[in-house]
Formats: sequence, structure tokens, C-alpha cells
Amino acid sequence: MEKIQHLYWRAGFGLSPREWKEMQGASLQQAVDRLFREAGADIPVEAPPPPSERPSRNMSEAQKKKLQGQERESLTEVRKDWLLRMSNPRYSAFMERMSLFWHGHFACQSFSGTLAFQQLRTIRKYAFGRFGDLVLAIAQDPAMIRYLNNQQNHKDKPNENFARELMELFTIGRGHYTEQDIKEAARAFTGWSSNPQGIYTFRPQAHDYGAKTFFGKTGAFDGSDIINLILERRETARFITRKIYRYFVNEKVDEGLVDSLSRQFYDSEYDIGQLMRTIFESGWFYEPHNIGVKIKSPLELVAGIIRTLDVRFIDDKALIFLQRALGQVLYNPPNVAGWPGGKSWIDNATLMMRLNLPGYLFQLSEFSFRVKDEPEAAQQGKALRRIDATLDLEPLMQILEGVPRESYYDAFASFLLQAKPAFNPSLMARYTAQGSNWDFARTLAVRLMSLPEYQMC
Amino acid sequence: MATTSLMVPSFLPASLGGLLGGSRSGKILIVIQLSGGNDGLNTIVPYRNDVYYQNRPRLGLQPSEVLQVSDELGFNPGLEALRGLYDKGLLSIVNSVGYPNPDRSHFRSMDIWQTGSGSEANWSTGWLGRYLDSECEGCVNPYHALELDDSLSLALKGRERSGFAMGKPEQLRRTNDNAFLKAVVQASDSHGHEEQVSYLYKVMADTQASADYLYAQSKVYQSKVDFPQTPFGQDLKQVAELITADTATKVYYVSLTGFDTHVNQKSRQERLLKEYAEGVKALVEGLKQNNLFEDVLILTFSEFGRRVKQNASNGTDHGTANNVFLIGGSLARPGFFNAAPDLLDLDEGDLKYQADFRDIYATILGKWLEADAGGILQGTHNMLPFI
Repeated sequence: MEKIQHLYWRAGFGLSPREWKEMQGASLQQAVDRLFREAGADIPVEAPPPPSERPSRNMSEAQKKKLQGQERESLTEVRKDWLLRMSNPRYSAFMERMSLFWHGHFACQSFSGTLAFQQLRTIRKYAFGRFGDLVLAIAQDPAMIRYLNNQQNHKDKPNENFARELMELFTIGRGHYTEQDIKEAARAFTGWSSNPQGIYTFRPQAHDYGAKTFFGKTGAFDGSDIINLILERRETARFITRKIYRYFVNEKVDEGLVDSLSRQFYDSEYDIGQLMRTIFESGWFYEPHNIGVKIKSPLELVAGIIRTLDVRFIDDKALIFLQRALGQVLYNPPNVAGWPGGKSWIDNATLMMRLNLPGYLFQLSEFSFRVKDEPEAAQQGKALRRIDATLDLEPLMQILEGVPRESYYDAFASFLLQAKPAFNPSLMARYTAQGSNWDFARTLAVRLMSLPEYQMC
Repeated sequence: MATTSLMVPSFLPASLGGLLGGSRSGKILIVIQLSGGNDGLNTIVPYRNDVYYQNRPRLGLQPSEVLQVSDELGFNPGLEALRGLYDKGLLSIVNSVGYPNPDRSHFRSMDIWQTGSGSEANWSTGWLGRYLDSECEGCVNPYHALELDDSLSLALKGRERSGFAMGKPEQLRRTNDNAFLKAVVQASDSHGHEEQVSYLYKVMADTQASADYLYAQSKVYQSKVDFPQTPFGQDLKQVAELITADTATKVYYVSLTGFDTHVNQKSRQERLLKEYAEGVKALVEGLKQNNLFEDVLILTFSEFGRRVKQNASNGTDHGTANNVFLIGGSLARPGFFNAAPDLLDLDEGDLKYQADFRDIYATILGKWLEADAGGILQGTHNMLPFI
């Protein structure tokens, strides 16, 4: 069960108590198969409501403003919905987790719900497919085109932004290309644009049809040729494999393992699903030094808490507040390099918010926290003081079915914590309710979820 | 690797020495961030320049409105309080500060200013965070760099060390007043932890100790100076009180927001600049009363300036180079650096920069904080003679 829990924390957001019960007695292979089956039967994401204003080139300033406002609101919905999907066992956790990885990899900031939704749909379509298809789809994704200024990439005045990030961050990594390669690649992507309605558009009059020399080869390359040339390089397979390893396995990289995984990835023509299966079906993935050694990202933490406690927020603004207060807002990564992860999630403010969050949800304490203002804000925003939510603890309590009271700690600790505490559990007696079994269990759960160890997966 | 800091028995906070010694941190830096992109041209106004009035037929400030400080330049009327500091030789203004290939997005340009990177690079640590990483003296104190806010800005995040965020001392103490977590820290065997968990325990222990320390420090001295009754004004009051209380903090970080003036800029910007200037004036006064102002340098910046031409809504859109203020009791050369911006030599309607913002950072890091500016900023930069 420990292995299945590890699998579910890395491929998803942990097991809900119900899933934990269901998986009792399942083999590891069955658990892996179930993840892939669920990801294959994914329920499509729903589009946010379309704006009432139809975007066009000759809109008035007032119309433009109205549209921007509507797109911002719809982006908020996309951000909430996605976090709710991560948190709800009804959806494929593996699909959500893999998409979250790719969102961090093809890091993109957007101000438009329509465009963010389109990109999310694209990422999900190829999340387990061929990496090359995903890269091409991202190169033609309007949110990315706008974020990296490819609309301004014109044959008379190439804009190198997309070409540079494509190589440095999205595919092959630093050290394997020259500045000249970037210039030539930028020319190949000229004219890859998007229209006001947010649909990919190729503009032939902006495209440079001339010969380009890229990685030592010369031809009248376009963007997809460039992507293919990049994929021909084994360094690309290694760069992506290494990043997947750091994200799903361990930030401390076993370079030998990455070598052999990346050979396989390359030989499979960049089959992402196959790479993930190899990782989750390997013995080394489940070795103790890979378990409980990653700091959960804010979204992983929050989705896990919602799953465990079956949290329903009374005001769903909390779903945005938590993203902001803990430092991971969907469609707003710090920059195109994505969220650096690991220790960078942690400072005194985010750590205390993390440790106190279960207590806030159990309404054991009030708090006051002001998230940083958006740059457009006219004045300082107000602090949030409560997160009103209902919890359903029934499923969690069922974990204790048939467990004697003196073993509650062990039962909950093994369900809730991927990293084992280094203090004597007898300490808990002083900080838990000593009345009914229910009260005792309830306070035990909130204490365990308030530990630094709970931050680990 | 933070091996050294992790070797410290984490649960006796590494900061204990600082707590007991508690000596003044020597030179102190206060950073004030004007968020949203303050319009530099209507802050320091070229009131004799026809091009300025041609570009800003309605938004331009008339010569009679501005507080004239030279034949060419005058302050926004909101900056009355700052003019007093200028007249006393306590203010340096660096004109046209920016960086190559400027980015006009708030987020991106703020990141560039906060990390100290160029516009072509994506750094994930802040310039002050890397200063903390550089093993500077006293850096082991989590509150060596303190942001007056509930959350921490990228500017103060390093790879191994970060600054400390404190909205209100009472609130910070309440948030950390958790007997259970304190007991857990006491009871945990630091050697039993994996490295990342150990890091979390260290931050938690440091935070508990710091919350108690900062709360106690906040009670030592109550300023009698009149600060603006706004969140920003009260943040500056807090800074003045902590400095006077001899707090072991070397860098303070404070923000004032609302400068994104696309619409009806004039009254809003004037009100914000007034709040800024009166806050700073009170801060200077408070520090002077206690003979501390010679040890203090105040840096004020915004993520970008605004376009030269006003827009159709009596506001201005995102631009590039901007002026930076340095205020202190030990300025080597008060007054203006760089000529007034050239309004005829523009880059797509925006000002060209004359000084790189990293030159200012390098000067502060090297000459004021006595740190390794080249290492922290990962490059060589010109030192400017303001200190």
C-alpha cells in the first residue's frame, strides 16, 4: 500500500480515503493500469462562458475594455475549475498531474480565459502522446504565441523570443545550440500568428521563405522543420527526460537512470505515455530514497487536502486566494521558465500558511492574510480572514474502522504522511482531544496535516 | 548547498547570537517599490520642454504647478515634502534608469527589476535574496532582510536563504503562536530528517524565533512623528520604530501600489506621490531625531516609466526608462544624475535609458552593504558616485 500511495502522490494528488479503501489488496500493477485507464477515459474540460463581445480589429476602446474584463473573469473560472478537477477523484488525477507538469514546462501567462482554456485542451490532448506533436501544437497555440510575441515575428523584423525559449526551455536546453541557430529558427517561425478571435493563423506575407541554416543543415525550413531537427537531437530526449525525472521521481537526479530512460524515449519517437509507464513500473521508483522527498507544490498540497477532507468551499474565491497566498497561480508562472519548485516554494509566510491551513479549514483558528496586489490594482486590497468550507470527515474516519484507539496514530500517519516524523508520537497525547474516539481522531488528523512532514510527497 | 546552515542544530535557532548581541546592523537599506509603473515624466517634470507639452496637451503639468528645482526640472506638486529633502542635500535623482530591450509587461518588468536579470534571462532568485545567499555578515538571521507585507517578494528570495515577510507584528506572532508546532520543533530529532524536511524544520524554527523577536522589537519604541494614516505610511512608521529599536535587520522592503494610471492620471498620481513623500519625510525625521539617518539609504524605484505621449483617457500607457530616487544622510553627491530625458530621441515612443538599474544595485551592494556586487549580480556594472 505504501507503494501505491507513493505512486498516487507522484502521478496524482494522493489517494482520497475512499480510493485508499478501494485499493486495499490491489497489486501495484493494477494500480498503474488503473491510472492509465482513467487518463485514457478523461472527461473533457468545459469551456468557460464565451464573452459577449466578439473580438475584432476595429473594436472601440470601451468594447475592448469590456472584453478584457470578461476574459479576466473567465480566466478566474478556468483557474478554479482546474484546481477543482485536481481535487476531485471523479476526474483522472494522472491526467491533471501530467497536464500540470506540461503547463509548468510550457510555462505561459495569459489574461484570457478563452485562450487559457484552449491551451489547456491542447496540452491534455497530447499529454501522453508524442512529445513532437505537443511541441508543434504549442508553437501554434495562440496563448503561447501572444506570450512570447510571435505575432511580432515578421520576416522584415524577426522576433527571437519564441525561438529562444523553444530551444532553451522547451526542448533541448542550453549549451546545444548557437545564437545563430536561434536567429535562423526565428526566421522559420515568422508568420505563425493568431487572429483577434484567438485562432492560430499562418500569415504568408510575414513568413520568410528563404533558406535557413540550422544545426548545420540548410533548407527553406519552416517552424515544423525546425522542431523536427531539434527532435533529431538526442540531447532533446535527455533534456525532457531529466525534467520529467526531477518532477515525478526525485530532484536529486540519478544520471545513469536518466541516460537509459532518455534512450528509450528517443527510440520510441518521444512516446510520453510509454516513458511514464516505464518509470511507474520500475522497481527503483519505489525505493525508499525516492519516497516523501519532494516538497508538494501549492496546488498539489491544496488538491491533496481537499481530497482527504472532502472540502467544499462556501465561497469558491478561496480557490484563487490559496493559489495566490501559497505562490502558484495557474496561468501565471513567475516567468517562461516555469515554477522552480522545491525549496523555492518555501519562505516564512508560505510555510506558516501551509502549516496553519488545515487548522483554518477545521475552523480552529481565524487568520488574516493579504495577498499581493495585482499591478493594475488602484489601491491596496483587503486581507482575507476566513476560509469558510464544509468538510466531510466520514470517509477519512473509515480508515480507522476496526483499528483500536491506541493505533489511530499509526493508521492516520501512514495514510497522511509520506515522510515519517522524527519525534516520539506520545507527544500527540498533549495536543489531541481526549474525549470521544471521533474527537480524538479529528484532532489527530488536523495535527498530522499541520506537520512539516505533511508538506512532503 | 546549505550544508553549513543545516549543520547548525536547527532547533536552537541559528539566529540566537543575533538575538543576544542585537547590535545595530551598521548601514541600513530601505527599498521602496512603487508598483504599477509610476509616470516619471510627471514626477520630475521637464517644465521648459515644448515637446513635453506637445505630447501631453492635457496631462502636462504647467510651470506654475510644478515645484521648480532647476532651470529645467520641477517636482510634481504632490512631492512638496520631498522637495524639502532635496533642498537639504538628502536626495539624489538618477534620470532615465532602465535596461536594454525593455519589457512593457508589469509582471515581466517587475521580475527583471526584482531579480536583477537582463530582459533576455529568466532568473528565479531576487537580487536581495542572492545578497543573503552571499554569506554576508549577519545573514543567518532570517530577518536580516525584512519585507513589510504578509507575503514575500521575489526580490528577497534566494537559493538557500530568503528574507522575511511580516505584515503586522501582532498578526505574525498570532500566526506562529502554535504550541503544538513549537513542541514538535523541540521534540524532533534533527538528524532523523531527510534534507528537504530538515529545511522545512529550519524555516519553521527560525520563523517561530523571529516572530517572537520582531514582536518584542516592535514594542521597544513608539515613534511620535506624524506618519500618513495609510497602510504604506504605517509600514514606514514600523520601519522607523524597528530601526530605532536597534533591530538586527539590514534591509527593509516596502511597497506602495496604484501607479498604473491609464485613466485620469493627474489626481491619482499626485495623491500617491503625496502619500509617498510625506511618508518618507516622516521616516527621515524620525530617524534624524535618533541620530540614525547617516546609517540609512532609501532606494525608490518602479517597474517602468510611462509613454511620453499621453493616451486618450487622460492617462499614460506602459513605457520604459524612469527616474530612481536615493535618499540618505550620507549621500556623496546629492542632486541629479544624468541629463533630463531627451524627448526627441525616443525608441518607439519611449524614453531611452541612460543608466542601467543594475549599476545602482551594484553601487548599493558594493559600497553600502559591502557585499560582492559582481557575484550577486553575475556581471560587472558601473559604480555610480551617489554614495
